[in-house]
Amino acid sequence: MDDLIPYIPLSIRDSLSSLPFLSAELCLIMGFIIVIIADLFFSKRFPQLSFIIVFITLIVQIYLNAGFLKIDNTPLFGGMIILNHLSVLFKLLFSLTSILFVLFVRFNKAFQNHDKGFGDMFAILLAVHLGLNIMAMSVNLLMVYLSLEMVSLGSYLMVGYLSAGKRQTEAAMKYALFGAVCSAIMLYGISLLYGFTGTLFVNDPSFISGLKSIPPISSGLALLMVFIGIGFKLSLVPLHFWSPDVYEGAPTPVTAFLSTAPKIAGFAILINFLKIFYDQRSDGLSTSILDWSFILACLAILSMLLGNFVAIWQNNIKRMLAYSSIAHTGFMLMALFIFSAGGFKAIIFYMTIYVIMNMAAFIMIDEIEEKTGMQYIDELKGFGKQNSILMISLLIVLLSLTGLPPTVGFTAKFLVFSSALQAYNSSGATLLLIMIIIASISTVVSLFYYLKIPMNAFLRDSSNPVQFSIHSPKVYLGVFLAFLLLLLTIFPSLLEQII
Amino acid sequence: MNLLSILIFLPIAAALLILVLPSSFNHRFKQISLSVSLIQFLLSLFIYTNFNQSIGGISKENEFQFVEKLSWIRLDLGSIGKLEIDYFLGIDGLSMPFLMLSALVMFVATLASWEIKTNLKAYFSLFLLLNTAVMGVFCALDFFLFYIFYELMLLPLYFLIGMWGGVRREYAAIKFFLYTLFGSVFMLLVIIGLYFSVLNPATGNHTFNMILMMSPENYISDSVFSATAGQSILGISARLLAFLVLFIAFAIKVPIVPLHTWLPDAHVEAPTPVSIILAGLLLKVGGYGILRVCFSIFPDSASQSAWWIGLIGLISILYGALNALAQADLKRLIAYSSISHMGFVMLGIASSTTEGISGAMLQMISHGALSAMLFFLVGMIYSRVHDREISNFRGLAELMPQFTFFVMIAFFASLGLPGFSAFMAEAFALIGAFTSEDVNGLLPRWMAIGASVGILLSAAYFLWTLQRMFFGQLYLNGGESWKARLVDVTIREKFALVPLAILTFLLGIFPSLLFNKMNASVLALVQLITG
Repeated sequence: MDDLIPYIPLSIRDSLSSLPFLSAELCLIMGFIIVIIADLFFSKRFPQLSFIIVFITLIVQIYLNAGFLKIDNTPLFGGMIILNHLSVLFKLLFSLTSILFVLFVRFNKAFQNHDKGFGDMFAILLAVHLGLNIMAMSVNLLMVYLSLEMVSLGSYLMVGYLSAGKRQTEAAMKYALFGAVCSAIMLYGISLLYGFTGTLFVNDPSFISGLKSIPPISSGLALLMVFIGIGFKLSLVPLHFWSPDVYEGAPTPVTAFLSTAPKIAGFAILINFLKIFYDQRSDGLSTSILDWSFILACLAILSMLLGNFVAIWQNNIKRMLAYSSIAHTGFMLMALFIFSAGGFKAIIFYMTIYVIMNMAAFIMIDEIEEKTGMQYIDELKGFGKQNSILMISLLIVLLSLTGLPPTVGFTAKFLVFSSALQAYNSSGATLLLIMIIIASISTVVSLFYYLKIPMNAFLRDSSNPVQFSIHSPKVYLGVFLAFLLLLLTIFPSLLEQII
Repeated sequence: MNLLSILIFLPIAAALLILVLPSSFNHRFKQISLSVSLIQFLLSLFIYTNFNQSIGGISKENEFQFVEKLSWIRLDLGSIGKLEIDYFLGIDGLSMPFLMLSALVMFVATLASWEIKTNLKAYFSLFLLLNTAVMGVFCALDFFLFYIFYELMLLPLYFLIGMWGGVRREYAAIKFFLYTLFGSVFMLLVIIGLYFSVLNPATGNHTFNMILMMSPENYISDSVFSATAGQSILGISARLLAFLVLFIAFAIKVPIVPLHTWLPDAHVEAPTPVSIILAGLLLKVGGYGILRVCFSIFPDSASQSAWWIGLIGLISILYGALNALAQADLKRLIAYSSISHMGFVMLGIASSTTEGISGAMLQMISHGALSAMLFFLVGMIYSRVHDREISNFRGLAELMPQFTFFVMIAFFASLGLPGFSAFMAEAFALIGAFTSEDVNGLLPRWMAIGASVGILLSAAYFLWTLQRMFFGQLYLNGGESWKARLVDVTIREKFALVPLAILTFLLGIFPSLLFNKMNASVLALVQLITG
């Protein structure tokens, strides 16, 4: 014990000097506490108070984050977390998602009319957001695990928040059980890695040298176990089983959130984790310990194939979007095969667009479901003729999800393809080419199911047309986001200059 | 703002105007749309007269005319360098004729849109969007921009067929969409591959500039598509594979047998104006793409595969004609005749001779006008009695003499009667194919001979149809009510038909009107292909 005493002032000083870099996270914590207090004492008199607080908190922390945009690699808290340009970008992405989510919840009828109100939901959101932020920064396996659990616990609560009916309870339970198993496996993997290497810092040179010194079977197994935990968050095939049920069962805003933010955080961790396995010379994934290139390519292929092909048969819109989001995850994986600023730019660009389009799609679908009770694609017959503005916006969003010009979804898809082709160019692995070809084919397949919505809405006629007022905040939001998707095609520099 | 930009974005501006106008202006929409295509036509006439026919273009950037170049997307990708995407427009002898054709066909299609009665706002907005896309494809010289316009055509067409089409419109629309998208997603991969292989010597960045992709010296020596590196993908030479992928993407549009099956469905289900655009312009986008992209960027692979392309052309000619003979539906017959006529385009292109390529270009322009005319004529009958089975009509000449006159012009012109544009075009394509064996040895003579059988077949199905429908004793399946509805050509319809008829006459008698304008470009292209 006495040996450690000289180190205490040093580490305290280090921690104190790290604090200013975490101003955004501190802001989130403050917001979290204030929201709880506000909701406890003032929710009767000022029901909108918690919404206002959470909104301000998010705006402030975006401002604080944006201040660090130009930062170089800065290890904080003894290297437990690293703040760099990429992690700040991820944090900004989470903020975008959270803001859209907060607006979505605020104007969602189910949340408005629920006894609990949305105050607690916002508190949970801020906590989850904190977890996401840490996920994006952590390089220590313990931090990874803690932040992952933080996000997971919050997500379980979010799914079951309204506890409306059996379906939702089932979804929350399924999610919690599946998540618990995956995180247990991950924890076991982490403990094995610690045993093998004697360190929890993935960026420590002894981590990689330790892994190389033991038989590949054991180190590979441990790495795979850790990967399962991340793959669960990404809902990659074959770890996707929870997602369609959870997405369908959860309240729509929560589904929209879960299909974006935790996934993006999963990618952040994956990038941090994979960083050590990139080959210095060719920038490709090295195969010395575990053939990551092979594993990721297989997962990408499986996710794209299963996601897209199963989505064809779905009639429930939310379920269809759930499968499509699995496919999108597979697609995004393609940008990870090469360690280059370009690849990460591609993935950040793609994710930003993905957040916008996914949120927009769910917002508009929720609006339709709320006003008319329609949940199934074939119920939308003739819908576009009455509610043209809403349905045209939805069409734009769906085209963007397919990746067709003139929407920015195309630009995003294009960047990912570029990155993947570059990886193929430098490695020459046939598997990568197969993956790219499958990605192309699945684009065609995805068109088929995305177009089912406009096909029903515009091409078919309904016997009893439904019309509702388009003057609602959610429609405005959806139309705005759709417009943004078109605008960004012409001016991608709006986004570029940040990335 | 450059002239080409105005040409491209004028329809979009009009579409936005239509979108904001209240529905009470419904009857004004067609006037707006009509004036847009009229203005476009005047602009293209202006371009035609101011076009310098002595410079070729093709692979030399400074020889393009009406150029507009703005930097558009510059994404810094770190190790790969900067993403260089330009808003780059310009025309040469290959693209200029298509601008005029587009404006003309759009004009006719708008006149045919008078029969559209429902949901006019959506219809004309989509129609104008399609107009923008088509014009854009013919002007774009940046591959990225080209692709965006190319894909932009699909969506309006999907809805135009799907919302205003016939009974099986859903099936036809999605089939068309999937078919074309299938071709173009792989094209996207080739575009990216080309992008990685080509450097802009001026800036040192990778570029999407199509013209730079045509010069071998701009390729990085060890890149995938570099001719000197000779890389292979999946055991096939990378350049050949890329050529094939691009070729298939465009050939689906042309269409060639056996990738043609979307066409009869799409034509039959589409409303008349959309059929006119499909046949008049969309098929030409395929042919134009093959010339501009496949043959110009991969000339070596093009001459390697010329024999096969020629064979495909021949098969399309014969198969399309034989199918046309067997059709009972007039619109379907014309759809198959399109396949047959586009076969000549493929044959002419494959010959890689000056005559052949000139013939192919003329055939595209001529067929653009003629197919627009044919579909317009079918649409006239259909809009009157909602039937177009050949066997349900007989002796129409007696009832509708003027209509029969226009039909005869269109039929005789299409079957290649001397004095009309199609004769010139097919003759030149055949001459090209015939001399190819001597000039460059790409196509054997029997292909030309086989193709001339196609002319014979086309005479057979057109004359037979003429005889069945227009001559003989008057008989109508619908009896007296049909007789009352089958009024002769109206003023509006004459406005659409007369310019097209004049065009085929003019090009039949003075093909040099077109040949002169594009000769320099065709020579440059032939030079590029055969070295």
